[in-house]
Amino acid sequence: MDRNRKLLISILALLVLSAVIAIVDISMNMQQKRSAAISLRGPQFGPGVGIVRIEGPIQMAGAASPFGGMRGAESVIRRLDDLERNSDIMAVVVRINSPGGTVGASQEIYEKLWKLRKNKIHLVASMGEIAASGGYYVASACDYIVANHGTITGSIGVIAVSPNIRRLFEKIGIDMNVIKSGRYKDILSSFRDINPEERRMIQEIIDSSYRKFLKDVAKGRSMSESDIAPIADGRVLSGEAALRYKLVDQLGTFEDAIDKARQMAKLSEDAPVYEDAGSPFEQLMFGMKQVFGGGSVLERNIRGLEDEGAAMIEYRYRP
Amino acid sequence: MIVTELKLLRWADLFLNALIDPRALYRQIARREPKAFALSFVVPAAVAAFNILTLSLLGKETGFFYYKITYGWILVFLYEALIALLSAALMDMAAQFFGYRGNIRDFITLVNFSLFPKIFILPLVYIFRIFNFAPLFFYTFFSMALLVWSALIAIQAISEMQPAGLGRATLIYLFPLLLVGTVLFFMFILLVICGVGYLAG
Repeated sequence: MDRNRKLLISILALLVLSAVIAIVDISMNMQQKRSAAISLRGPQFGPGVGIVRIEGPIQMAGAASPFGGMRGAESVIRRLDDLERNSDIMAVVVRINSPGGTVGASQEIYEKLWKLRKNKIHLVASMGEIAASGGYYVASACDYIVANHGTITGSIGVIAVSPNIRRLFEKIGIDMNVIKSGRYKDILSSFRDINPEERRMIQEIIDSSYRKFLKDVAKGRSMSESDIAPIADGRVLSGEAALRYKLVDQLGTFEDAIDKARQMAKLSEDAPVYEDAGSPFEQLMFGMKQVFGGGSVLERNIRGLEDEGAAMIEYRYRP
Repeated sequence: MIVTELKLLRWADLFLNALIDPRALYRQIARREPKAFALSFVVPAAVAAFNILTLSLLGKETGFFYYKITYGWILVFLYEALIALLSAALMDMAAQFFGYRGNIRDFITLVNFSLFPKIFILPLVYIFRIFNFAPLFFYTFFSMALLVWSALIAIQAISEMQPAGLGRATLIYLFPLLLVGTVLFFMFILLVICGVGYLAG
């Protein structure tokens, strides 16, 4: 038995030796990979930059995720809340790819960002394809704005759109029965003409929202309202033109924005970036829903028409 | 006392018997010379460490390894130990169902020692990794082969323990797999129904 025991000890010793060699081998491979700048996936920790994404039209709450999550401005605010509470977050990059949206939702996001800015969390806005109207309004709450050369931005203004289909209804012989409690209850109705008094009332709201827009952009950009007013006529601008008018601070990419955020927060060049991502399972299921369960083209168009039919006052670029 | 026990090398017989004579392994466990219960957990711990090393060696970024090897090792060890405990409990239940005496402690010790061949995955795969000759294929192949070896050890030891024929011992060994397989099957069916419902909506 002693001989067998010695044999086993030898086998165990060889196993330990192979483990040691493997550790050295893997460590060397790891060094090579690091020097070749291949990023290794793994748990991230320590002070870093948080990412918030604002995609598509800004509205208060989109359809709730089937996993209990929220979409729309509420989800952005919740994400900002999480980042604010996280002591590792020294800076936030707000990635914007939006033509704007409703006044209330845009203002909620602006105010939340402004609160973070006051709490000394460095905010950098990164504009994607489009960050116009409400998209720009939100960006202006950040300390620093990075836009691509070809980003569509600007469109500072307020709009309310309501289709008038009265004549179409007359042609096909449809009358709408409207029972209302006050003369203005169906203001901006699609089934009748708007009268001058109603137009004046809506214009007042538009003007008030516009003044707020201008004031907040001026505050965010540390400029005077009179400096912004000449270009705040609803015009859209390219990223390059926006830089010329000082609506943005730098031309660059999303990566440039992250680098700038690290620099502003005095973080190291490889400080971790905390992405705004749901669980892989949630992403997969949501992706599949878009592909398989998004409804027919007609259904989607009807949904679109429903959206268009609802008159809203918006900070939105509507080409 | 522990040092004396280590010097006596009686513990080595447990590992040796696991490889060459599983029936003798059970007899030694039953004699409690040396006490093998606590020692048996060294096996899943070593298997976990060797498994992580092998996967890392194959280029899989095991994440934990690159940052803190201890975290990954502890996690995989806990997983292996939990599986061993659950399997042993279910095997004990199956043995009692067949009318044998229940002995959960010995079952746990047995299942732990039966994992011992899995430790050879590292040197076996390393050879193919050095020559870069389909290491991933051989990792899968050896994993399966070592699993079968491990199963054979457990079945023979169970057969000695109860005592039961190899057929009954195989049934006792496979019972956890069958049970978990059935549960997973029904879970999969329910998940598919939920998924289809969600996608259709």
